[in-house]
Amino acid sequence: MIEIKNVSHTFAIGKKGKEKKVPVLKDLSFGIARGEIVSIVGKSGSGKSTLLNTIAGFMAPEQGSIVVNGQETASMNEVTHAQFRLENFGFIFQNFQLMPGLTALENVELPLKIKGIPSAKRKVKVKELLQQVGLENVSDHYPNELSGGQQQRVSIARALVTNPPILLADEPTGSLDSETEQDILLLIQSLNKALNLTFVIITHDEEVANIAHRKFRMHDGELVKEVL
Amino acid sequence: MLFKDQVDFVRQHLKKNRLRVFTTILATTMGCAFLIVLASIGFGLQGSMERGILTDQTVTEIEVYGDPQKKIDVDAIRKMDNVRAVVEKTNAQLSANVKFEERTNSVPVNMTDFDNEEKIGSKLSEGRLPQNSDEIVVGYHFAENLLSKAELKEQEKLYEESAENDTTSTKQAKKLGYKESLVGKTISVKLQDYDNDKAINKELTFKVVGVSEKPAKDWLIKNTILFSHELKGEFYNIYKASVKDSKNIKAEKDMFYPEIKVHATNLEAVKGVIAKLKDKGLSVYSVTEQLDDINVIFLAFKVGLIFVGTIAVLIASIGIFNTMTMAVTERTREIGVMKAIGASPKLIQRLFLMESAWIGILGTAIAIVISYGISFLSNWLLPIIIDMATDSKQFQEADIVFSHIPWQLILVASAISIGVALLSGWRPARKATKIDVIQALRQEL
Ligand SMILES: Nc1ncnc2c1ncn2[C@@H]1O[C@H](COP(=O)(O)OP(=O)(O)OP(=O)(O)O)[C@@H](O)[C@H]1O
Ligand SMILES: [Mg+2]
Repeated sequence: MIEIKNVSHTFAIGKKGKEKKVPVLKDLSFGIARGEIVSIVGKSGSGKSTLLNTIAGFMAPEQGSIVVNGQETASMNEVTHAQFRLENFGFIFQNFQLMPGLTALENVELPLKIKGIPSAKRKVKVKELLQQVGLENVSDHYPNELSGGQQQRVSIARALVTNPPILLADEPTGSLDSETEQDILLLIQSLNKALNLTFVIITHDEEVANIAHRKFRMHDGELVKEVL
Repeated sequence: MLFKDQVDFVRQHLKKNRLRVFTTILATTMGCAFLIVLASIGFGLQGSMERGILTDQTVTEIEVYGDPQKKIDVDAIRKMDNVRAVVEKTNAQLSANVKFEERTNSVPVNMTDFDNEEKIGSKLSEGRLPQNSDEIVVGYHFAENLLSKAELKEQEKLYEESAENDTTSTKQAKKLGYKESLVGKTISVKLQDYDNDKAINKELTFKVVGVSEKPAKDWLIKNTILFSHELKGEFYNIYKASVKDSKNIKAEKDMFYPEIKVHATNLEAVKGVIAKLKDKGLSVYSVTEQLDDINVIFLAFKVGLIFVGTIAVLIASIGIFNTMTMAVTERTREIGVMKAIGASPKLIQRLFLMESAWIGILGTAIAIVISYGISFLSNWLLPIIIDMATDSKQFQEADIVFSHIPWQLILVASAISIGVALLSGWRPARKATKIDVIQALRQEL
């Protein structure tokens, strides 16, 4: 599903002219299969988010190839990659990243709107998903009228609404208490089973990392497989 | 994204910042209305002037002047395309001293081909056109200038008084002159050479068969007699016989000046006819040429006004630029999320351009309505105000249009202000597409 080969990236840090070169990703190569949950743990600043951002296409790695769903994405231009993301990825963020001006329902609807799906079709799909994440009775609440856990459910529903095969999650439970965290983890596991979805989860929480089928540890830009 | 959803999206954002959007639209409206109203003055005054010219004179009439030494080939002109008729009037260097009952009048001798007058449909206020050379047409004001001795004195007195009072517009308190119709009456005429202070003693008699039409301009006095051009030879012989010293006799061509007026079939044909006449080496005068000159001047004037107005629109555009830049900055995180989810940069750009276009369109639409209002009010109120200040009724009677808004002006002004709105929204929209997803997502809520 995702094939990463020899991906390297270096950041230039500090003032222009006096910048320091910091290698963040060092010649990474690994693959993720369809329906697999992969977790990546590591110290803060070890490069976890940077890796996920290159997979997501938010940034291009300096070197290496990333093949997602059979397509080389590392060299795609912005417009093509935007379309590719719309089709292939769902995103779950640490701070949910919901639109404050839109209700829960409208937030979930947004990717379908961007995709150009007509309103009637959208409504059916959105209803179904809100039911699936257990939010049908708060669908007309605005994000600031929802709890953290509810907000994360909305964002998961939004990630799923376009039926992408892959979900990318950067610290999905980072802003939640441990009880809510459990709810979300259970939801992720059940979605993985029910829809055969592929998950890439970045976390510094070992408990979260342990729901994965495979677990990697990022260390100084290098990836080490850990036994579960 | 479906167009309908794009519109919804834009509307939602505009609603969120109602006050800011309102003030920006207000600025755009003011700029655009300023542009339209300013330029409408150019259109209004031009229209007033054109109308003034066109109602005063015959538009299809072209005056032709040639080399005085050569005879103009009138028949050739008559045969040209789009020429309805050619009227050849002759102004003689003679005046006609008229006597009728106990009244006298002195008028210049004008001669014409009445057959032709018939053909171009010359209108008379009374009677008919002459059919032979014994018959004449008198000018509209001829009768009222046909004065008895007592009336002559009275008129002199009136002139003196009006000179003292310095009121040029004083009208004759009592209408002088012959009050009944002259048609069918016979008058006697003695010719007088302009260079001589005594009339030639030979008395001629003519029958008045028509009175000419009332002139278009109120101040034009038509105190004339139109004789048949067949009398040219006879009049010249009378003149020649009266001069004692044969050295002083004027040649016939110096005695009669031709005045040729070409009538084109319609207004559109005038230009073509003028060009052909000029090709023949003739000088021409036509109201339309005067109009052309005025149009050029007014075009420059209008372009100048639109230019000044555009500056106002540009100032308003700074407002749009600021509003859109702020909108983009405020929404950085949301734009980041949209891009992350898969909105293409093109879509983001379009959404922001639509927002500034909407501000431009709404501002322009309101401006158009307001401009028509201002235009209407100024045409109605300005004459009243000016007349009040000058204590007269001239402007209200003159039917002067100060401001006129033709659809072309609306088109140009809309294009300018919507175009400027789009241009000023362009950079903020570009900025929105350049937003980095990672940076945007890092922003705190
Ligand atoms: N845009 C950037 N420009 C320069 N350096 C950057 C940039 N983004 C990240 N870095 C550097 O790259 C390194 C890795 O950052 P990254 O965000 O991937 O860490 P992380 O593993 O996700 O940490 P955390 O667990 O705290 O989220 C850090 O040292 C950071 O300073
Ligand atoms: Mg991180």
